[in-house]
Amino acid sequence: MNQINRIDGGLINRSNKLNFNFNGQSLEGYEGDTLASALLANGHRMVGRSFKYHRPRGIFSAGSEEPNALVQLRTGAYQEPNTRATVTELFHGLEATSQNHRGSLKYDLMAVNDLFSSFLSAGFYYKTFMWPKAFWEKFYEPVIRAAAGLGRLSGEDDPDIYDKGFLHCDVLVVGAGAAGLSAALSAGRAGARVIVMDEDFCMGGRLNVETLSVDDKSGSEWATQALAELSAMGNVRLMTRTTAYGAYDHGIVGALERVTDHLISSEKKPRQILWRVYTKRTILCAGATERPIAFGNNDRPGVMLAGAVRAYVNRWGALPGKRVAVFTNNDDGWRTATDLAAKGVEITAVIDSRDGQPPVDVPKGAAIVMGGRIVDTKGRHGIRSFTLSNGQQIPADCLAVSGGWSPNVQLTCHQRGRPTWREDIAAFVPGGELPQGMSVAGAASGNLSLSSVLLNGHDIGNSVVSDLGFTPSKVKSSSSEEETTGISAFWHVRESKVRAWLDLQNDVTVKDVKLSHQEGFRSVEHLKRYTTLGMATDQGKTANIPALAVMAECTGKSLPETGTTIFRPPYTPVAIGALAGRARGKDFRPSRLSPSHSWAEEQGAVFVEADMWYRAQWFPRTGETHWRQSVDREVTQTRASVGVCDVTTLGKIDVQGRDAAEFLNKVYANAFAKLPVGKVRYGIMLREDGIMMDDGTSARFAENHFVMTTTTANAVSVFRHMEFCRQCLWPEMDVHLISSTEQYAQFAVAGPNARKLLQKVVDSDHDISNEAFPFMACGEITICGGVPARLFRISFSGELAYEIAVPTRYGDSLVRTLMAAGEEFDVTPYGTESLGVMRIEKGHAAGNELNGQTTARDLGMGRMVSKKKDSIGNTLSERDGLNLENGLSLVGFRPVNRSEELKAGSHFITKGNTANMANDEGWMSSVAFSPNLGHSIGLGFIKRGSERMGEVVLATDPIRGGEMDVEIVSAHFIDPEGERLRG
Amino acid sequence: MAKFTLTANTPLGGFSHDFKGVSISEVNGRSIVSLATPLGGKEAVSKALAKTYKLEIPEPGKSTVSSLDNAVLMGMAQDQTFLVFDHTEDKPIDVVSKHLKDTAFLTDQSDSYVMLRVSGENSRSVLERICPIDLHPSVFPEGSVSRTIMEHLGTVIVHEKANTFLLMSARSSAKSFLEAVEVSALNTV
Repeated sequence: MNQINRIDGGLINRSNKLNFNFNGQSLEGYEGDTLASALLANGHRMVGRSFKYHRPRGIFSAGSEEPNALVQLRTGAYQEPNTRATVTELFHGLEATSQNHRGSLKYDLMAVNDLFSSFLSAGFYYKTFMWPKAFWEKFYEPVIRAAAGLGRLSGEDDPDIYDKGFLHCDVLVVGAGAAGLSAALSAGRAGARVIVMDEDFCMGGRLNVETLSVDDKSGSEWATQALAELSAMGNVRLMTRTTAYGAYDHGIVGALERVTDHLISSEKKPRQILWRVYTKRTILCAGATERPIAFGNNDRPGVMLAGAVRAYVNRWGALPGKRVAVFTNNDDGWRTATDLAAKGVEITAVIDSRDGQPPVDVPKGAAIVMGGRIVDTKGRHGIRSFTLSNGQQIPADCLAVSGGWSPNVQLTCHQRGRPTWREDIAAFVPGGELPQGMSVAGAASGNLSLSSVLLNGHDIGNSVVSDLGFTPSKVKSSSSEEETTGISAFWHVRESKVRAWLDLQNDVTVKDVKLSHQEGFRSVEHLKRYTTLGMATDQGKTANIPALAVMAECTGKSLPETGTTIFRPPYTPVAIGALAGRARGKDFRPSRLSPSHSWAEEQGAVFVEADMWYRAQWFPRTGETHWRQSVDREVTQTRASVGVCDVTTLGKIDVQGRDAAEFLNKVYANAFAKLPVGKVRYGIMLREDGIMMDDGTSARFAENHFVMTTTTANAVSVFRHMEFCRQCLWPEMDVHLISSTEQYAQFAVAGPNARKLLQKVVDSDHDISNEAFPFMACGEITICGGVPARLFRISFSGELAYEIAVPTRYGDSLVRTLMAAGEEFDVTPYGTESLGVMRIEKGHAAGNELNGQTTARDLGMGRMVSKKKDSIGNTLSERDGLNLENGLSLVGFRPVNRSEELKAGSHFITKGNTANMANDEGWMSSVAFSPNLGHSIGLGFIKRGSERMGEVVLATDPIRGGEMDVEIVSAHFIDPEGERLRG
Repeated sequence: MAKFTLTANTPLGGFSHDFKGVSISEVNGRSIVSLATPLGGKEAVSKALAKTYKLEIPEPGKSTVSSLDNAVLMGMAQDQTFLVFDHTEDKPIDVVSKHLKDTAFLTDQSDSYVMLRVSGENSRSVLERICPIDLHPSVFPEGSVSRTIMEHLGTVIVHEKANTFLLMSARSSAKSFLEAVEVSALNTV
């Protein structure tokens, strides 16, 4: 027996029948239905259970404000909990299940909670379950947690894909109801670039649900015509199923487009797109949300918002009930009675909280009670009747309630704007400072009659485009019949003796708000946190204002004095998947691959991520089962013969200009002005505060041309720092910077046979003998028959070493060539681990030592800070605190018991002293196992280190545990005289 | 004479693919040389460019096109322009310095970038998924150049002609960049 409550009319396509499934039952609906309208058409009033008391709940609204009708959509990994049935577009094959019950929806075991409701008042978990204490963590909390929550996640990875994007326009119109369409027509006709977005799949807003006419057409016909005109404009973009969920800095608006949520499958397209909208102006036409009146047992299925009831009847031809009554405090509520009566629906009564005469003609046969109060309702799984304060019982299977309309001001408050109260409509309207570029039109601004909405939208649209320099069109505003919109604020029925709900989603009642006040919570923000009012998916869209009114009553303050809680994005829920977009798994961030990456992969290299770079860490060979075996071999082989390492990732900055030398002289602490052409120099760079910033080399290729290298980690920050110096500190200097990190593939070739290997690839007209090309030489050469290359005689390993650079296009070929040419020398590739071992053996500082706390003096390079010139950081490096007699100095360490393994991060304590912070004398910054020495070695900072050679101190590691005696030694474990690298 | 030879490769091996209404293809065979205008030397550079390439130095954000080597001059910053031209050999600087003498400081950037051309009627729809800047012709007309960021990667975008955009991004992350553009196409059309 399908669609028993379907009646004629509406904007549904009856020629396209859609089959769907709710709680295992096969049902039918039509194209154009929401899940809620289809459920109502099928006679389903009860669709879920409440959060705390597990009370039966039905569909309450017809929009995104829905607090009750939350269902679980789809199955398996695609399952999505807490989906609002009222905004879920029906599609063929849709599967939905109700949530928050144990057992069936009708017979929920957890409904027992309702019997204990007096123990489950606001904040009950703060006051109960206090003893025995041990029970809280092991018993009470797990039980409460298991019972709480609404839907359930699948627990599987979300198989859908999500995307993000950027939109730009002159005017963004949020909401495509009467105001939005009017505003968009004004802006579009003037020639502005306009984007119109609406959360509904059918634009038109309440024009599609009301029976009021516009320009002598039905509202929906007028909307269709307006949309046709807008879609024909090349300068207007219409976006359905798109919610503007947040207003951010600089007038940027966040929006979520639900691209395939209305389809059974996404077909590998993004399910949703998160848009960042850059707009010069935003016209917020978000409409208004009807709010309820609180009275006894007002949460039963069948108790609905009055505007929603007529929306289901007028737009979807779905009857929420067959005997309908209305409870209202305003004229608009009567429209439900007259609209439904016109469709032949029985209206049993209209209860108006106001005294006086009915504002419109009374529907035939309806009992009219002016000044009436509903105190209670009856009906187990849905309302059957209600009771007035005079004891009269009136039958109804649907009670349409209207407590007036609240403008949807949320987006106007996202930049801390506070709404202001308008007594004449008993509602908050946008006030204070709006987000940049935002105007508000229509019901969202407090215009609650259709005629005023149309005019307001039209005028604001014209005003905004005029402000942007467009000439507004002369077309006049559309108009509508006049309607009455009278209201007298009425929030809750005091005569009710039973629970009266304010927040249906969080089961917050009038009593809870009063309790909150009684217990001392005076701020609305505290009320919210204590009672959970206004939290979760609906963010209290229907609950907040009535609850604030109850609180205002308690405090004796007015509503505007009480104020609202702060509205924050998102306006409606946004899936975490949508916020993540594509940034999942390996796509979390881009990868930078060095020119030898493919070759290294072929060698089975193990990679490490260094920022975005993937660097080969070591190259395991057959039979090597532990990384140390590979690293020890690479180090030994390099020191014995020759090794090759990709050092492309180091930053390279091309420095040119007439003042290039002087510029480097200023940014480096040591002297560079007189560096001869064809030479490289090691340089240290200080921050303004005198602390070490970075180190590297600079090679002078011509009088006005240097190539600087930086550490991999600081490549960007050093470049940025130098651009700042160039542009802001010394704009009078002729110096030009450009990164050439990507331009060159660069390889270190190190070891006693490095020269011999290179001589096999360097073209013979370039002499790279020690005499012609000594330590710290550089030059532009050609290799392999004419390929341009740069050669640097520099060494990080302490061996005879070179770095050779070729245009990146040759990088892959060069590494293969070097390995082939080096075969006779048993060449080995080495990775970053071996690089680290060799630099520690040599005593070279790296990132661990340049950690933002250390000075050149600490590193034993104090004398490099030239006092014959000015340079960045020079002056402040002279501060007393940085030049203490007992200051730190970088030295080497080795375990007294050579079989012990040093730990980086250990702290040094003088022997005999207690290991505590007061006695802390420094720390171990880098450690490695030296295959050449056969034991662990380390670099570290210790007070007066250079004066304490041979002293044994305690290295303690309080975090990981353990301590050992270590001896202070020279940081240069290998070749302290530097004979190898000059060889 | 060394017995070894080196072989050049391209960042994406010549990638090219057509999607519905949009084509994405790697651009090769072009060289990029950065021209830094010396302090006070704009006039000399302008003269040299006018004489050879028949071009004026474009303002940052603009580009001009020459018939010589199909050269495009892009204004990248106050004192920096990129000359992108047909040249497949090594040492493109030699070509440029022959024309400009020593009026500008030159840096070879040919291997610094991967270049992708995105063209077709859907090109703007595809790019709006990753490109934060407004590509509408009224805002970013043909010939416009901009530095921006796409999917965390620094990108230079050039509006070459109607519905045709040249994208330049760092060579080391070429695969990630291609994936960003390709996924945009797959997600859009």
